[in-house]
Amino acid sequence: MAALLEVTDLKVEFSTRYGDVTALDGVSFSLDEGETLGVVGESGCGKSITALAVMGLIPAPPGRISAGSIRFQGEELVGAREGRLRRLRGRDIGMIFQEPMTSLNPVFRVGDQIAEAILLHQDVSRTEAAKRAIELMKTVGIPEPASRARAYPHELSGGMRQRVMIAMAISCRPKVLIADEPTTALDVTVQAQIFDLMRQIQEDYGVAIIMITHDMGAIAEMADRVAVMYAGRMIEEGRADAILDHAGHPYTQGLIACIPALDPEVAAADRPPPLAEIPGIVPPLHLLGKGCAFAARCDRAFAACTDMPALKGGPHAVACHAHEPQQQPTAGGA
Amino acid sequence: MSATQHSTPAPDAPVVEAVSPLSEAFRMFRRNRPAMAGTVVFLILLAIVIYGALYGGDPFEIVWAPQTPPGEDGFVFGTDYLGRNLLTGLLTGGAPTMVVGASAAALSIVIGITIGAFAGYFGGWVDTLLMRVTEFFQVLPALLFAMVLVTLFSPSLLTSSFAIGIVMWPQTARLTRAEFLKIRELEYVTAARAIGARDRRIMWRVILPNALPPLIVSATLTVGVAILFEAGLSFLGLGDPNTMSWGMMIGANREYILDAWWPVTFPGIAIFLTVFSVSLIGDGLNDAFNPKMRER
Repeated sequence: MAALLEVTDLKVEFSTRYGDVTALDGVSFSLDEGETLGVVGESGCGKSITALAVMGLIPAPPGRISAGSIRFQGEELVGAREGRLRRLRGRDIGMIFQEPMTSLNPVFRVGDQIAEAILLHQDVSRTEAAKRAIELMKTVGIPEPASRARAYPHELSGGMRQRVMIAMAISCRPKVLIADEPTTALDVTVQAQIFDLMRQIQEDYGVAIIMITHDMGAIAEMADRVAVMYAGRMIEEGRADAILDHAGHPYTQGLIACIPALDPEVAAADRPPPLAEIPGIVPPLHLLGKGCAFAARCDRAFAACTDMPALKGGPHAVACHAHEPQQQPTAGGA
Repeated sequence: MSATQHSTPAPDAPVVEAVSPLSEAFRMFRRNRPAMAGTVVFLILLAIVIYGALYGGDPFEIVWAPQTPPGEDGFVFGTDYLGRNLLTGLLTGGAPTMVVGASAAALSIVIGITIGAFAGYFGGWVDTLLMRVTEFFQVLPALLFAMVLVTLFSPSLLTSSFAIGIVMWPQTARLTRAEFLKIRELEYVTAARAIGARDRRIMWRVILPNALPPLIVSATLTVGVAILFEAGLSFLGLGDPNTMSWGMMIGANREYILDAWWPVTFPGIAIFLTVFSVSLIGDGLNDAFNPKMRER
């Protein structure tokens, strides 16, 4: 069965003053209809670049997709004509951004902005688009949508703005929704509301979601499957529960350990340090060597780590030499 | 960046009346006393100029003895070296000044915004090419270049507007380019692209409206500069010879300034008041659009 969206061996390079750096290297994943894929990693791991690559929005002069393919419903998007990509954007693939404060145009009323998105892809009148915009605002849970449609972005709270963004993104009933850290800039309570909304939209619209985040909690909340990225590569991929319970890669384990425990007893017993951290930072891309990019920060690194480990191992794949000897506890079944 | 207040969304919260950024700026402007004074002065001048253009009479007509001092024989502002009524000249001389000033400013703004927008939005070789052209125009001494243009074609209101507009656009172009460079990196531009907007729409419907505040300020100040340019050209005798303008009055009477101060002084004051009031308006707009600048 062909997946809705299939990304294979995607490589994205940027020319910088340090020469060409590889921002994405051999990234592969697939997305089925109605599924939620979580993409996790620290800042600078290539999560957002992956999203932009799928949208065909890699900033063209410095960056380029140098290898690999992106297939949407079987259609190759790498190298597709700009006009074709533009018709896909917004209509078939929608996107929500991290910072709802800056992702709405400050000088236009939010209702008009949603209507614009409708007018770009659908052959309807302006009044009809405005009517639909208000309906969409109602769908995403904005109270009094008719009067809020006349508000400017700065007059809405962060959560409301993100709802407006979601309304824009789903205005043409896309098949794929890319959410680039949709809740990072929001309060925790608002985050929960936005997650609820996204789940509900997924149910109603049957949209597949690519959820980009650095928050393992958000993954636990939303994702069916998870792809963990580090320094432009995918280092672990599998079902969300499998990865959360039995993370194979030391980096993933580290990310999970970083989730603060709220229960004081658990915090006292299981996790001696009040808040775990992964030492160090993601290495600058132009300083990457041949070996595993995480080796420098990894407490299990050994001689083999000077070679790049491949991502392998069935439905729960891990790219780590240290992981290979042991059998995967949850791998397969059938 | 700014700390946003996340109030829990109460469904029955009163919905505030939507205030657009523009109307908010207008409110700030109205509270700015110097700017409002400038506006009032400018509107009065404009009314006088319009009245003068319609009912001012013939400023070239010789009506009395040359160099009659102001207030004598019923001539409020006196007469000039040929015995022409200065009041008539002042009333009618404002129209060409203002018309040329406004149309030259409009021309320079249209050229400047177009070139700056393309350079800033597309970047790369488009930017390099357009900026080199801009620099070419910028390094030419402006008044001299305008003089050359006017003398190449016969002096008229149209050629003056054209010449002044041509020498003034580089500034607007650079400002527009800078704004576009800044704004095109913002997330809402990517968001616009992500809903499938094309370049044309992003340039004119997404980026330009957000770049407008500094451009409006600059446009206002450009009008002031253009009026000065027009006066300068007329002073040098390069204005339309068949149209009396304030600059021309100063230029024609300058040789007799030691015998009669008034034919030079009154048009000078008129030009000064016009440019000054326009500058006050520009400053007021700047303050209204840049609230951060106000607490200097």
